[in-house]
Amino acid sequence: MKALILVGGFGTRLRPLTLSVPKPLVDFANKPMILHQIEALKAIGVTEVVLAINYQPEIMLNFLKEFEKKLDIKITCSQETEPLGTAGPLALARDKLIDGSGEPFFVLNSDVISEYPLKEMIDFHKGHGGEASIMVTKVDEPSKYGVVVMEETTGKVEKFVEKPKIFVGNKINAGIYLLNPSVLDRIELRPTSIEKEVFPMIAGENKLYAMVLPGFWMDIGQPKDYITGLRLYLDSLRKKSSAELEAGSNIVGNVLVDESAVIGQGCLIGPDVAIGPGCIIESGVRLSRCTIMRGVRIKKHACISSSIIGWHSTVGRWARVENMTILGEDVHLGDEVYSNGGVVLPHKEIKSSILKPEIVM
Amino acid sequence: MESSDQEKAVAVIMVGGPTKGTRFRPLSFNTPKPLFPLAGQPMVHHPISACKRLPNLAHIFLIGFYEEREFALYVSSISSELKVPVRYLKEDKPHGSAGGLYYFRNIIMEDNPSHVFLLNCDVCCSFPLTEMLEAHKRYGGMGTVLVIKVSAESANQFGELVADTITNELLHYTEKPETFVSDLINCGVYIFTPDVFTAIQEVSTHREGQANIRHLSSFETLQSPTSRALPVDFIRLDQDILSPFAGKKQLYTYETMDFWEQIKTPGMSVKCSGLYLAQFRLTSPHLLAAGDGTKSATIVGDVYVHPSAKVHPTAKIGPSVSISANVRVGAGVRLISCIILDDVEVQENAVVINSIVGWKSSIGKWSRVQADGDYNAKLGITILGEAVTVEDEVVVINSIVLPNKTLNLSVQDEIIL
Repeated sequence: MKALILVGGFGTRLRPLTLSVPKPLVDFANKPMILHQIEALKAIGVTEVVLAINYQPEIMLNFLKEFEKKLDIKITCSQETEPLGTAGPLALARDKLIDGSGEPFFVLNSDVISEYPLKEMIDFHKGHGGEASIMVTKVDEPSKYGVVVMEETTGKVEKFVEKPKIFVGNKINAGIYLLNPSVLDRIELRPTSIEKEVFPMIAGENKLYAMVLPGFWMDIGQPKDYITGLRLYLDSLRKKSSAELEAGSNIVGNVLVDESAVIGQGCLIGPDVAIGPGCIIESGVRLSRCTIMRGVRIKKHACISSSIIGWHSTVGRWARVENMTILGEDVHLGDEVYSNGGVVLPHKEIKSSILKPEIVM
Repeated sequence: MESSDQEKAVAVIMVGGPTKGTRFRPLSFNTPKPLFPLAGQPMVHHPISACKRLPNLAHIFLIGFYEEREFALYVSSISSELKVPVRYLKEDKPHGSAGGLYYFRNIIMEDNPSHVFLLNCDVCCSFPLTEMLEAHKRYGGMGTVLVIKVSAESANQFGELVADTITNELLHYTEKPETFVSDLINCGVYIFTPDVFTAIQEVSTHREGQANIRHLSSFETLQSPTSRALPVDFIRLDQDILSPFAGKKQLYTYETMDFWEQIKTPGMSVKCSGLYLAQFRLTSPHLLAAGDGTKSATIVGDVYVHPSAKVHPTAKIGPSVSISANVRVGAGVRLISCIILDDVEVQENAVVINSIVGWKSSIGKWSRVQADGDYNAKLGITILGEAVTVEDEVVVINSIVLPNKTLNLSVQDEIIL
């Protein structure tokens, strides 16, 4: 079975992290974002994953070779020379997705994290016999997104309404699709929107069905949602395999710590914290609702909340970091410095406090 | 009188390195700062061409921390264009401004020069090297420092020098003092005779000796920790050479009455590009564009247009504009005080003022990209990084936009990541 992951472009919303690595390789819960999806696909028997990208394939290819070997799955890239929108890349990768078997293929949006109930989706797809299935998820504020209006019992999709002004439904497109190969015949090789052009066409023929996504869903393409997403992910991990989470007198709530990380005495870690490989958390440190990437050192008595600390950075003694502070790669926050929402680009030293949200270049 | 074959000169240009250059973001994401174009030529090209005017110039060395491959193309093309060998030398670790010179002394002295010119790449000035060399020979000292008078208020941002008004000897030097010492400052351009290497070695040996003293008196513990902590081979030109050798009849000053600026931020590059364009008016007016709106665009003031760029005749360009290769400027466009980099498209009736438009960017019809023009303010010059698209009729004011962004809404006073 095949799958296409829409990776897209420059990941500018996740800067400064994406100034150091392409977005699919930014770590989430101690694993490159895209690895979460590739593993979920591998688990249900996908043998080949095509990445639709339009940026930096060289950097990706090295990592992909590593994943290929570890997971024993084929990974290829389909590179757009001009942005093709959300449907065009499928046409571009046509030859890789059709193998004559007539089997449907998955399409995933790379910014999405969820529980990936892909097996249930295959069953759903076979059950309704339509041409395409999409996952939808319930949200509180549907007007921010594209709403999918569907029949509650069968899941048959009636129409898509972009940012509706009145309430038409509370399910939005979750960015996970299962498509029959015939869908590719509807897509031309040009910039095309799958929500605005392709799906409405299929819905009009009563061949598009939507399944409500069980479990959590988040688009982690920007820092605020990344942090919320980690909370949802770790919640879900607690239910499924709580042994992976950390336990102890210095741990509160859900905390994920890589086995090579070191945590000192007198710390209080959690809730909703991920600590990456090779990190050193010195004594007396308080961490909550934050991600500490690979190779970071948090010095004594520091306090960090609701922030992301990029690879190989250091946070000084007694520093206080909060309110969506994002430190890029190799950023060094001095002792006793306060950062309130500072967004710091890679390779910087911060010696004085950032009192209100600010971008430091 | 023939100039002696023995009187060769070499020039050393310090170009810095990437980790130090975060101030030049977002432009430095694409190009090392020394290669960023000012008035149509890479920044480092200006001191290099000034050196080329010297008689008996044997070699030009660029010393920096960038990877060799970043300079390989430039160095080979400029060597063949100017017919003087230009070589890039990469420092493996920081040695300080004098330490770097000392570290490469064997290579620098290969041609047996009688004079070594030392210049900083991020200095924008007229580089009066020939006049400075004549003065240096008259003084007969070990080194001559280019100096300029600035306002008393701004002097403490630089190295301040006191010079004898008659002999021009350097009497006193201090770096960024808190109280007023002098309104004469160090321009970052020097001429040395080869005995400067002996002077640097003396400092290095002395420091090694100090490090060997195990017992620290209570007085020494009060001294600045940095001077104790410096490694033996980290020698700063200003504090370690100019300061101690001042007043010993070894160092002299040469004052320039022309312009001088430091190119530390992207905003300053617009100002300095303008200064060099104004200098072209005097030294090489054929490089500047001309036009009156009939067959070619209206040109006001000093403007550089690359031969491959296409500018519509109804556009009005200048003053102080530099347009790089393959740029297309559409009908009715107005450009003032800006740098337009390679492959940019400026569509009809757009206006760009006090800005830098990055490589491959696209400026939409009737859009407006501008800034106050305060070169020292963080957002005083609008900077669009590589491949930024400003859609039709959008206004961008006092902002910095990182590469690969599309602006479909107007922005003001913002950094867009």
